[in-house]
Amino acid sequence: MSREFWKAFARNRGAIIGLIILAGVVFLALFADLLYPTSPWDMVTRPFAPPLSAGTLMGSDTLGRDIASGIAHGARVSLLIGLTSTAAALLIGVTLGALAGFYGGRVDDAIMRFTELFQTIPNFVLAVMLVAIFTPSITSVTASIAIVSWPPLARLARGEFLSLRSREFVQAAITTGQSTPSIILREILPNSMSPIIVAASLTVATAILLESALSFLGLGDPNMMSWGYMIGASRTVMRQAWWMSFFPGVAILITVLAINLVGEGLNDALNPKLARKGKG
Amino acid sequence: MGKIVSFLGRRVVKSLFILLAIVLINFALIRAAPGDPALVIAGQSGASDPQYIEQLREKFHLDEPLPQQLWTYVTDVATGDLGYSYRQQRPVWDLIAERLPATLLLTGIAYVFSLGMGLLLGTLAAVKVGRWSDTAITTIALLAYATPLYWIGLMMILLFSVQLGWLPAFGYQSVGAGLTGLDHFVDVAAHLVMPVLTLGLFYMAVYARLTRSSILEVRDMDFVKTARAKGLPERRVVVRHVLRNAVLPVITFAGIQAGYLIGGSILVETVFAWPGVGRLAFDALLQRDYQVLLGIFVVTSIMVLVFNIITDLVYTLIDPRIEVS
Amino acid sequence: MRSTDTKSARRAWYRRPQRGLMAAAAAALLALPVAGTLLPATAAQAADDTQAVQKGGTLDIILNPEPPILILGLNQQAPTQLVGGKIYEGLLRYDHDLNPLPGLAKGWEISEDGLTYTFHLRENATWHDGEPFTADDVVFTAKTFTPETNPRWRLIFSHVDTVEAPDDHTVVFNLKEPFPAFIIGLGVTNMPIMPAHIYEGTDYNDNEMNDTPIGTGPFKFVKWEKGSYVHLTAYDDYWQDGRPYLDDIYFRIIPDAASRALAMETGDADISQFGNIEPFDVPRLSKLPNLELTTKGYEMFAPMAWIEMNTRKPPLNDRRFRQAILYALDRGFIRDNIFFGLGRVATGPINSVTTQYTPDVQKYPHDPEKAKALLDDMGLEPGSDGVRANVEFLVMPYGEVWTRLAEYIKQAMGKVGVQVTLRSTDSAGWAQQLSNWDYQMTNDYVYQYGHPALGVARTYISDNIRKGVLFSNTMGYSNEKVDELFAKAAVENDDAKRAQMYAEVQKILAKDVPVAWLLEMEFPTLLNKRVHNAVTTAIGTSDNFADVWVEPKQ
Repeated sequence: MSREFWKAFARNRGAIIGLIILAGVVFLALFADLLYPTSPWDMVTRPFAPPLSAGTLMGSDTLGRDIASGIAHGARVSLLIGLTSTAAALLIGVTLGALAGFYGGRVDDAIMRFTELFQTIPNFVLAVMLVAIFTPSITSVTASIAIVSWPPLARLARGEFLSLRSREFVQAAITTGQSTPSIILREILPNSMSPIIVAASLTVATAILLESALSFLGLGDPNMMSWGYMIGASRTVMRQAWWMSFFPGVAILITVLAINLVGEGLNDALNPKLARKGKG
Repeated sequence: MGKIVSFLGRRVVKSLFILLAIVLINFALIRAAPGDPALVIAGQSGASDPQYIEQLREKFHLDEPLPQQLWTYVTDVATGDLGYSYRQQRPVWDLIAERLPATLLLTGIAYVFSLGMGLLLGTLAAVKVGRWSDTAITTIALLAYATPLYWIGLMMILLFSVQLGWLPAFGYQSVGAGLTGLDHFVDVAAHLVMPVLTLGLFYMAVYARLTRSSILEVRDMDFVKTARAKGLPERRVVVRHVLRNAVLPVITFAGIQAGYLIGGSILVETVFAWPGVGRLAFDALLQRDYQVLLGIFVVTSIMVLVFNIITDLVYTLIDPRIEVS
Repeated sequence: MRSTDTKSARRAWYRRPQRGLMAAAAAALLALPVAGTLLPATAAQAADDTQAVQKGGTLDIILNPEPPILILGLNQQAPTQLVGGKIYEGLLRYDHDLNPLPGLAKGWEISEDGLTYTFHLRENATWHDGEPFTADDVVFTAKTFTPETNPRWRLIFSHVDTVEAPDDHTVVFNLKEPFPAFIIGLGVTNMPIMPAHIYEGTDYNDNEMNDTPIGTGPFKFVKWEKGSYVHLTAYDDYWQDGRPYLDDIYFRIIPDAASRALAMETGDADISQFGNIEPFDVPRLSKLPNLELTTKGYEMFAPMAWIEMNTRKPPLNDRRFRQAILYALDRGFIRDNIFFGLGRVATGPINSVTTQYTPDVQKYPHDPEKAKALLDDMGLEPGSDGVRANVEFLVMPYGEVWTRLAEYIKQAMGKVGVQVTLRSTDSAGWAQQLSNWDYQMTNDYVYQYGHPALGVARTYISDNIRKGVLFSNTMGYSNEKVDELFAKAAVENDDAKRAQMYAEVQKILAKDVPVAWLLEMEFPTLLNKRVHNAVTTAIGTSDNFADVWVEPKQ
């Protein structure tokens, strides 16, 4: 994580733009309460006010709630769920992948079968069902996203562990009698971090999209304003009021785009070999 | 040929195991769902006295012990009985079956569209690396990657239906138009344009990027250099040697993506009121009709399994080197 | 693709054989008043008939969701009623003010003491299979069939001692005690008369005739193409000469809400009812030149929407808290912005279209200051964060409108310092938590069935605090005076005394606020303007349509 890293990262112009946008979104999430002190659920003005009228920037929704306030507060939910569900998916995926790659054989077989099962199940359908059945709340949404997001991470981790396991430094650690957990955590994991970090950044982006899709279908936490919810709730009046679904969509687009750009930058910086190949 | 048959056989057996696992998950989910369905139906008929609720429990086997219910459920699914929708008062399979053709049509066309366009754009981008068309294609891919597809759908409706009036905003055909032959075909096709674009765009982007990087990887390989050295025309080199090999990882990936495509159809069908399984899922979701949701879960899983087998077959057809194992 | 350019092509889709149109004059002659018993009936119907009646033609009605069965005696859900109401008939029908009108009973007498109800039946009515309709059918239906199949009739029938048929066309009900609500409960929605010759002695749910309903109504069953349509055709031997006017009715099954709206817009469907059209679409559709909107024809159902509160749990056990909730809410805003203008702000426990309603009760205009004062009075002072109390609100899982409503309630109560946490669940979970009293607040709406004894008392009397039963007194409200008044009023034969008791109980309830009444809900019925006489009674489009006639489709 040195100058070299930054240099490689900065060489990707898109990544810098992404980072700036992302910083903006984080800022919005952190200071939403200062920018819009009242709750985003508050009916602050008349319903159906178009943008730049009735004291609003982006207009109001069917109940007279300020869209801009919803976008500021919604940034929180998106980032929060994106990060926590990715963390959970990493925990599941990397653990299983590490075990499979390290032990190989039957363990590998069993774990990969299990992973395959989860990759076969249509993941969005599964997420929808899980949230519906366990009733929408921030916990159930995060958990469901994690449950459908871990398989690719597991495959990736397995591949890394499989190839690193036969390397000399690992073999050396085994012969010197290091304990297995210590080998996994101290020797292999740090060396396989780069691709996992890149994959994780993309998982955050997908998680945000998944969350917004769930909220769009009415499966968000009913107490948290989120972008997907805003689009879903105003979908039926779209003909009369475009702004209600337009702005939240743009917010999602920009955020996810920024994260993807940053992910590519990370890829360039962390996997220079791979990156060069990709760029041709 | 024999090889392919035995390969197919093994794939089917494996798929059946996966299916069984899915059915078990399904049953666990039914059990996890809170609430007593008998109470709900009773409530809906406007009155609920204990006698009526008992009748309902009996009718839907809710009074039996758990293992018994599990067994009943597994055998039911095996015989194509996916349960009964308490809310719609109809067998779940009937509900799904009448919606299935619309979904197959939508996802099928979207799949072909996204794969075809993805390969095309990806190839173009790879051939013209660094030029503006490459940049344009990469940018579009990046944008499509980041946009919620239901939102694209909504914005398209705003633009093409509400503002411009070019395309029908929702539905499968003009209601009661009584069109036949070519007119009917054109009518349905017009209704298909936006849903297919919406559903296909994201995957098109995915395939385009994949194709591009795959081609860039393949084109420096030795056999391509050899072909070029032999003086084959560039077009031929690209199509016969580069593309043919570069397409393999894309197809593998497309097989995996089939499940995502079906998941996406929930959103797209919701936005465009497309009368398919996804729309059914959304309605079931609104009413929390789990029986229907779980049935859809089983059916979509089967669709993915079938899709995967087909993908594997296509793979073997394209790549004769591959040993079917 | 747009709605207009394919009009002519669209016609072909349901070209059906049409009977020759009879001369309008002949039709007018046939529209003679029914053999005379009660007058308001024909008067009410005639009012709409300024144009000359045209005989013949086909009517398309939206049917959604598809009913599981068409045997009205076995299933009382709204879609079954819509179709079954044309095939079957009840003893009585009711006008918009819930006055009884003749149905299969052409006349009736109620004894002075309110204990004996004598009904004189149509002599020329026949079943669709040709069998004559007699008093035996009524006795079988009232005494044997319906008590087993319809819980609502079970409640009414518990007041009946004996049912007898002195002759083929007279039925006498002897009641155990006076029960004035009895006369409201004899419509086709509660007790459709079923053919004894088909059902007597059989397993009703397993009867082989369940696929081909046989009734006495003006329309008989032709075909049910599952998932597509139900086709009924005029019954030639209907007891009323010259009726029905229509040749055919097609019930079109359209599961998708957007397609339903479109079908009304294009004229492919003539009638939509209940929740067929999403509330947000109603204002737009009702302005179209070919459509008209009515909210009449639901008087028998009279749904009342409210916030249900578990009065066992503090602070909801305090009357002042519940009153504060009503003051905190702007129910006009709810009606206008969440229900898109449909409904009337409720004043008390009884829907104003239900009998025995009185407006003379304590009122709760939107007044947050008053709400705060009440909360102050309770000692619920706002904390440093402005919060006085926390309550949990279970969102009723019946669609977007109710979600929006919950969001509004959360905000409005937040304004007076009551912090509401929303909890979503599925319908099964909602039913379970509500009926097992495992909730604090939620929404609900309940039908009133025309009379407080049939659809209102059940919510408030302590006898009906029954764990595990939905639509009972789930909030656990108990007030001896209320119990006594409801019990006495139900069996009070004197009109004035009864009205006075019901007025008193409404006053008490309006003060106690056992539930927070929001709206007397209105359902939109959209009608193509070519349809006449479709909504003339308290059950609106669920009625038999004998008098409905149409102008030819454009």
